[in-house]
Amino acid sequence: MEVASSDAVIVARVLRGDVEAFRVLVDRYRDRYARFAFHMLGNREDAEEALQDAFTRAYRSLARCEDPERFGAWLFRILVNRCRTAGARRGRRQRTFVSDDMALLAAAHDHPADRTAWREEIERALTRLRPEQREAFLLKYVEDMGYDEMSQLTGVGVSALKMRVMRACDRLRELLSEVHSA
Amino acid sequence: MKNIARELRAPVPVSESFDARVMDAVRSMPRYGRLGLWSRLTTPRRRTFTITPLTLGLIAAGIGVFALLGAAHAYVDVNRAAKPIVAALGSKKAEPAQRVQFVLVAPDAKKVAVVGDFNGWDSRHAQYQAQHRGGGVWSVTAPVPVGHHRYSFVVDDSVWVVDPSAPRLVDSDYGVANSALLVEHQQ
Repeated sequence: MEVASSDAVIVARVLRGDVEAFRVLVDRYRDRYARFAFHMLGNREDAEEALQDAFTRAYRSLARCEDPERFGAWLFRILVNRCRTAGARRGRRQRTFVSDDMALLAAAHDHPADRTAWREEIERALTRLRPEQREAFLLKYVEDMGYDEMSQLTGVGVSALKMRVMRACDRLRELLSEVHSA
Repeated sequence: MKNIARELRAPVPVSESFDARVMDAVRSMPRYGRLGLWSRLTTPRRRTFTITPLTLGLIAAGIGVFALLGAAHAYVDVNRAAKPIVAALGSKKAEPAQRVQFVLVAPDAKKVAVVGDFNGWDSRHAQYQAQHRGGGVWSVTAPVPVGHHRYSFVVDDSVWVVDPSAPRLVDSDYGVANSALLVEHQQ
């Protein structure tokens, strides 16, 4: 049964020429990684583009995946880099988006009890973090990674990552308390 | 902060066409080897060629010319024929170097150098010191002779890092991985 197969088994099948087996890997990692891309890039369209790009790059380089059993971690590393690239490329658009959000933020505050509005406030606050702080925060608190794992993934030292997470938390508290005190 | 994280852990569904788009992109790329080398050599495959009478005539004429030249060449003395070959080998020039760009993302690095068989694995070689281009990206463009090479990055004079964008080769002497590079003649 395909769903029960390990990543290494699926990767081996793809490398033997079974292209359709790659769909199992897409199905396995799509939703979890879409969440990270969405939070990093701030909108669904860019997130899907980055995720699709990560999957196709992973396929193209599959023969160079050194540990197929950890295909998911390898794919995630590719996705993190794609999000960095996409974020840098769209920096200007992002700034416009954030600027427009200020008006929306005020509008959403009219219904603070609404959980959807609360989630939107968090999303907007997230987009206002510096990209490296947002990345560190998401890896730590949403993807539930340890600092050593984050360091391996991002190539950034543990102490720098701790600093980024701390600053991200401070900034999020500040932004969200602004919303509630407004 | 944990409350915020809990909200952010909610699933983010992708559009229904996402899987199809990924698979379409993947199918358009070269497929990995379905058959082994032996199977590929021994499995019969059907090929269809279309050829015009004019093309067929030109091919036949070409074969005829080659046959005539081959027959004429058979009369040439073997010793005389060998000389130009030796001369050609003797006058072989050193392969020219091509300029190659090396790039490494190392946000925490203070210094990055490229070492390889083309610079004697010398991390102090002036031409192979990478410059920081911002955002943790280090790069250097330096001459590398035409041919196959092994190389690596040396970060902060101490840490050897293989090029994540290049194929890896395990060094037979030390058992450590290096990156592989093929520099070709410029067309």
